[in-house]
Amino acid sequence: KFRMPTADNLVPIRLDIETEGQRYKDAFTWNPSDPDSEVVVFAKRTVRDLKLPPQFITQIAQSIQTQLTEFRSYEGQDMYTAEKIVPIKLDLRVNHTLIKDHFLWDLNNYESDPEEFARTFCNDMGIEDPEVGPAVAFAIREQLYEIAIQSVASAREIKISKKGRRGAEHAISSKGGGNALDLMKLFRYNSSVVRKRKEWYVYEPIVDILSNEEVDALEAREDRNTR
Amino acid sequence: MAAKSPVKEPPGTSAVNPTTPLAPPPVKPELPSSSEPDVVNVPSYSRWFSFDSISECEVKFLPEFFDSRSPSKNPRVYRYYRDSIVKHYRENPSRKITFTDVRRTLVGDVGSIRRVFDFLETWGLINYFASVKTLKWEDKETKSSAASAESSSALKETSKRLCNGCKTLCTIACFACDKYDLTLCARCYVRGNHRVGVSSSDFRRVEISEEARSDWTEKETLQLLEAIMHFGDDWRKVAQHVSGKSEKDCITHFIKLPFGQEFICKESDSEDVDNKFFSINNPSDAVSESENVGATSPSKRMRLTPLADASNPIMAQAAFLSALAGVEIAEVAARAAVTTLSDVDDRASKGSLMRNTRQQEAGVASNGDATQNALARASVDASSLIEKEELDVEKAISGIVEVQMKEIQDKIIRFESLDLQMEEEWKQLEQVKNLLFVDQLSVLFHKSNARKNGDRTEENVKTDVS
Repeated sequence: KFRMPTADNLVPIRLDIETEGQRYKDAFTWNPSDPDSEVVVFAKRTVRDLKLPPQFITQIAQSIQTQLTEFRSYEGQDMYTAEKIVPIKLDLRVNHTLIKDHFLWDLNNYESDPEEFARTFCNDMGIEDPEVGPAVAFAIREQLYEIAIQSVASAREIKISKKGRRGAEHAISSKGGGNALDLMKLFRYNSSVVRKRKEWYVYEPIVDILSNEEVDALEAREDRNTR
Repeated sequence: MAAKSPVKEPPGTSAVNPTTPLAPPPVKPELPSSSEPDVVNVPSYSRWFSFDSISECEVKFLPEFFDSRSPSKNPRVYRYYRDSIVKHYRENPSRKITFTDVRRTLVGDVGSIRRVFDFLETWGLINYFASVKTLKWEDKETKSSAASAESSSALKETSKRLCNGCKTLCTIACFACDKYDLTLCARCYVRGNHRVGVSSSDFRRVEISEEARSDWTEKETLQLLEAIMHFGDDWRKVAQHVSGKSEKDCITHFIKLPFGQEFICKESDSEDVDNKFFSINNPSDAVSESENVGATSPSKRMRLTPLADASNPIMAQAAFLSALAGVEIAEVAARAAVTTLSDVDDRASKGSLMRNTRQQEAGVASNGDATQNALARASVDASSLIEKEELDVEKAISGIVEVQMKEIQDKIIRFESLDLQMEEEWKQLEQVKNLLFVDQLSVLFHKSNARKNGDRTEENVKTDVS
C-alpha cells in the first residue's frame, strides 16, 4: 500500500508563491494526519512571522492543501514493493552552504528516517547553519516521494500488462529502476560489498561554504533558470 | 551553543512542590529588572523546566511524543525540539523569536514543532519579555485608523464584550488580558476558566457599565436634571433631552447622583446611604481609570484567587459577586455582613441558617481588609426585616402542618373503626359459611341414605310387584 517509505509518513511540501512582486519560497515537511485546520493556522502564523501581506494566507493554505490532497489521493493505491535500493542525490544550496552528495537508500525499509539522516549528516560534517538540516531531510523526502509515486504507476502498469514475474522485471528495467538491477549484477559474482576506490569520489559528500559573491551569482543564475 | 547563562527565577516566590504546578498557579511575582545580560528570567510557574529532564507538565500537554503511537515521535525527539528552541531563544532573550525562524532550523514535521513552540511560549519559557514590545507592534498592525491610544479604548467601547470562556455577553464588569487578547466575564475569571498558561493576574478589570459610557460632563448633568424636572418619570423624553445618553444611562447616572437619597425611603441612617453613593462613585471611577494593576491590587487579587478554587458553590458565588462588584465595594459589603452578624447574634438565634450565612460572610470578609461601613447599616436593617418575614412564614407553616396532622389522625381513627366492622362481618360470614357447609353435608348424607332407602323401597316395590 502506498506510503512514504520512511518511519513517519510525512509529506514534503514545497511552496513557491508570488504575489504583488513578493516571492515566497519555502519547503518543509507536513504530517498528513494533522487536522486540516492546521493548514490555515500554519499559513496565518507564517504570514504573521514573516510580515507578508495577508493575501499570502489563502494562497499558502491553498497550495499546502493541494499538495496534501494529492498525497492523499495516492494513499489507497498499491505500491510496487520489489527489491529497491535507489540512489539519492543531494544537490542543494542553503544560504551559504552548498551540499552535494550521492548515496543509496533502501526503499523497502519502512523504518528509515530522513530526519535522522539529516541530523547525523549535519553533525558529522560540522555544519553550523541550522537551516541545512531540514533542507537535507526535505530533499531526501522529496525524492523518496517521487519514487513512491513512480512505483504506484509501475504497479498499475504491471497489473495491466499481466505478464507476471518476467513482466515485472521488464517493467523495472524500462522504468529506470535499473539501478536495482545493477546492484544485483554487482552482488552476483565474487564482487565485494566494499566499493571500488575509483568510485569513491562519486559517493563522497561535498560541503562547500560559499562567499557572498558566489551566493549572489548562484542566486541570479537560479532566478534566470526558473523564469 | 550550550546555554551557559544561569536561570534566575524572580525573588519572592514561595517554594512549590514540583508535582503541583500542573496548572499555572495564579501568583505571578513582580517583574524583576532584567538588566543583566547573562541572566534569563523564567516565570515561577515554569520552574519545573530543566534541560536534563522532562517533567510531568510536558507529558501532560504534549502527549503525542510520549504515547509511542508514532515511531518517530519519542521523548528524544521532543527534547531535541525543546532544547533547540529554548537555546535559540536564549541566545538573544530580548528578541522575540517566531515560529517560522525556529521551524526552518529544525528537522521534523512542522505540526509537532509548532505544538512544542506554542507550549513553550505559553509557559513563558521563550519570548517571555519580548511580548511587551510586540504588543504595541501588533496593536498598530491591527488598527486600521492611525489614531492614538484612544482608538484602543474606542474599539472596546464600541464593541460588546463577549467572554472567551463561556461565550456570554459581559455585563457590569469583565476581565481583559491584553497579553493573549482574552476577555472573560467575572464568573469565568473567578472559576479560572481561562486558557492554560494564563495566570489570573494577567487580567485587569474592565468595568463595562462605567467605561463604556463616557463620563458625564456638567452640562449633561444639568440637562438631565432639567429634563427630569420637566418630564418627571418619562425617561424616554429625558434621554431625548440629554444629548447622547441612552435611557438606561440617564437612570443610572441619576440614581448615582448624591441627592438620590431623597427618593429612597427615609431611614435613620440616611447619611450612611449618602456615604454609600459617594463611595460607589469614587471607587468606580478609580477602577475604571486605572488600567494597570496597581501596587495594592496584586495582593488583593492574590487573596481573591484562593476563593476561586473553593469547591463550595457558596464561596464561589461570593467570590463571583465580589469580583463583579469590585474590590472596594466587596470589602464594604464584607464589613457590613460582619456587623450584621454581630447584631443578629444579639437577637434570637436562628440556628443553621445563620451559621451558613456566617460562613459565607466570614468568607467574604476575609476577602477584604478596609474599614468602610457605609453599607453596614442599610444591610443590617434589610436583614432584620428578612428575619421577621422568615419568622412569620415559619409560624404559618407550622400552623398548616398541625391542621393537616389532625386531619390525618381523624382519618386514621375512622379507618380503624371501619376495619373493626369489617372484621366482625367477616367472622359472621365465616360462621354462616360453616353452617352452610354443615347443611350441605347433612343434605348429602340424607340424600345418600334416601337413595339407599329408595333403592330398597324400589326393590321392595319391585319385589312386591313382582
